[in-house]
Amino acid sequence: MNRKVVKEDVDSRIFDAINIIVLFLVTVVIVVPLWNVIISSLSSGKALAEGGFIFWSKEFSLENYRSVFNDNTIWQSFLVSISKTFAGVITHVFFCAMIGYGLSKRYIKGRKLYVAMGVITMFFSGGMIPTYLLIKSLGLLNSFWVYIIPALFSYYDVVILMNFFRNVPDSLEESAKIDGAGDWRIFLKIFIPLSMPAMATIALFNGVGQWNDFMTTKLYITNQALYPLQMKLYEIIVQSQTQSMQNIGGSAVIETTTKGVQLATIVITTLPIVVIYPLLQRYFISGMMLGAVKE
Amino acid sequence: MNKAFGKKGLKLCTVLMAAVLVMQGCGGGNSASSGKAGLPSADDRYTVDAETPAWKLDKKEETTELTWYVNADWWNTDFGKDVVTKKIKEDLNINIKFITGDDTKLNTFFAGGDMPDLLTIFDSNSPVVQKAATWALPLNDLAEKYDPYFNKVAAADTLNWFQLADGKTYGYPNYSNTQADYDSGNIPAKTAFVIRKDVYEALGSPAAGTPEEFKNVMGQIKARFPELIPFGFNSIGEGTGSLGDVLQDFLGVPMETKEGGFYNRNLDKDYLAWLKTINAVYRDGAISDDSFADDGTAFEEKVKSGKYATMLLDGTPQQGGNLQIYMSANPGKEYIAIDGPQSTVGHAPTLNQSGITGWMISFITKKCKDPAKAMQIFTYLLSDEGQKLMNYGIEGETYQVNANGKVELLPAVKDLQLNNADKFKKDYRLGEFMFFGHDRDKALSEDAFPESIKQMQEWGKGKLKPHFILENINPDQGTPEARALSAINTKWNTTMVSMLRSKDDASFDSLLADYKTFLDNNNWDKIVEIRTEKMKKNKEKLGLK
Repeated sequence: MNRKVVKEDVDSRIFDAINIIVLFLVTVVIVVPLWNVIISSLSSGKALAEGGFIFWSKEFSLENYRSVFNDNTIWQSFLVSISKTFAGVITHVFFCAMIGYGLSKRYIKGRKLYVAMGVITMFFSGGMIPTYLLIKSLGLLNSFWVYIIPALFSYYDVVILMNFFRNVPDSLEESAKIDGAGDWRIFLKIFIPLSMPAMATIALFNGVGQWNDFMTTKLYITNQALYPLQMKLYEIIVQSQTQSMQNIGGSAVIETTTKGVQLATIVITTLPIVVIYPLLQRYFISGMMLGAVKE
Repeated sequence: MNKAFGKKGLKLCTVLMAAVLVMQGCGGGNSASSGKAGLPSADDRYTVDAETPAWKLDKKEETTELTWYVNADWWNTDFGKDVVTKKIKEDLNINIKFITGDDTKLNTFFAGGDMPDLLTIFDSNSPVVQKAATWALPLNDLAEKYDPYFNKVAAADTLNWFQLADGKTYGYPNYSNTQADYDSGNIPAKTAFVIRKDVYEALGSPAAGTPEEFKNVMGQIKARFPELIPFGFNSIGEGTGSLGDVLQDFLGVPMETKEGGFYNRNLDKDYLAWLKTINAVYRDGAISDDSFADDGTAFEEKVKSGKYATMLLDGTPQQGGNLQIYMSANPGKEYIAIDGPQSTVGHAPTLNQSGITGWMISFITKKCKDPAKAMQIFTYLLSDEGQKLMNYGIEGETYQVNANGKVELLPAVKDLQLNNADKFKKDYRLGEFMFFGHDRDKALSEDAFPESIKQMQEWGKGKLKPHFILENINPDQGTPEARALSAINTKWNTTMVSMLRSKDDASFDSLLADYKTFLDNNNWDKIVEIRTEKMKKNKEKLGLK
């Protein structure tokens, strides 16, 4: 008996050791490139031009960041990005929750039809040009609303929320009804607070999507004042790439390289997400489990 | 329940779909009607005069607002803030709103029907250009009606070159070089075989013209400068870098068969002999494997830091900035052009420059609010005045003409250009607003190119030969031949790299044989036929025999 325990102990220690080594290696593989990106973005153009892998900044410089932030309009783009992400996430989650709540009720008339219609949209979409024409005739071109309205609804998110709402016991709803609560009150005061993990998950998915999205801008927005950060940075990168092509004469000072600017851009765009992630992570993990439970 | 839904649902879906289809049909009908009416009159504003550009005559008081779509994300959309565009704004009394994008955006414009007033794209071979008659206004008619002076500033050869089947020309390119430009000697070479001066001198200025000499020089560099890569070339990416047509031009590989048909330059014996030589150099370890994998940025960074001892360099003006950076930091070690690889059968080099097709091509669309004004922009920018403005700014303010009659930037401007490129770009934007820029205008000034490439351009004098007959000869997009050609090109690019890296002559030869079989299996005969046909048409357009 005793021997067995000891043996198990050794086994599990070996297992742990292997686990730790493998996880350590995986972590190194993930962290090292990230570290390299951060350090390289803080190096001078000259150090970068020499090439090679950089572990520690050979020549510390904020020039890459300066050249990105040089453009005054970037702050406005920051604002656009933040407001579209916030407004987009809140409206999206609320809207999807409303529909999901409705569809989770078996007594709704025509429920199956709505569900079937939704499923069809998951497989078929109109394609780029028809969508463009639709957006155009809705008058959403060059309007801030193009970030919000088309992104209001995602059937995928509705399915997740619908399933979550179904897990809430019917008796809760019934007792609330007996106490005189209406549908809105039940939805807002019972279902939403009980579904925070699902809401947070969807908010995070959608938030990251909103934050990173620049195709919408590329297709529907020509007014620079409405450019979000991603589009602005995309422009800065492309312009830094073609700078040499347009230079007549050419400057003799290397302050930044295309690579440096790109790396600084990566850091700038990723940072907000990296900061928000840990805050939402606990909801996120319990929310992810949802996918496993389907009725 | 399910069954019931099935029936009901099906009915409902059908009805919905039908409704959607009907509605879409109606919508389509509306947007399809395009403005086919004749050109609006500008008689109340001015009477045309063949001797005076219309922008000087136009009395329109209010500022014309135009949108101009440029199919390039990197285009700087500012207008009216820097010296160049401010002057354009004042002279023409216009305000241009630039929109940029890529092919996706271009497609949405065409699909959505809300075209901009002016439009610039980059691929003269694209379907958009081929079908310009359906969406753009013919420049011939516009010139006749609004601004006959245009014909004085536009090159007749270029106009002919872009004529469509209806005999009209819809777009005008920049950097379009005509035979006259080549003859004038005003366009500088853009390719060179360069070597670092210190290396060249240390080796006693050896020749590298024949395969034997070339191998020998590379071997010596490898032995004496172990920290350098003996031989470099432009990033290969998905193309051939500078080892394809650029090398062929250095060797003077013929452009057509004796009968005037398409000649497959890739299979030229002279050229293949040189590929074999480069392969031998590779096997000796004088070419870095990285060179085959580096992207443009990596290549540029090596140029900047002088990693290569020699380079077959394409696009010297584009690398001018990088070369200048290296030159300024390492005086006496700068790259210089020498006679590099030469034909083994005695052909003279026939270096290429941008041809008559040029680069960007600009159109005035049928939806243009004020075609007269748009035409004036074309004329203005194409005139000597406009050309000087785009490249050098305003006389007395940014440049002066020196005793030799050459344009010279003022010291303060020059200083800014060298030391604060960002501010220079923002305040002056010289050479950047280049819709109608041409190489010939660069010849006006010593300042047009950086010091680092002047010797290279000098070296190239007399070695340029127009490649006009080879321009736009690919099968039309969307045809089976076009698809076959794209497969063939990919095959050639990978084959070429494998050949250059092959371990022995036998595998070199078998790779080549593979490529030849691939040609036979992929419609090559048909492609040659199409290209020969198009070459014939090119000759007709240019009046060549």
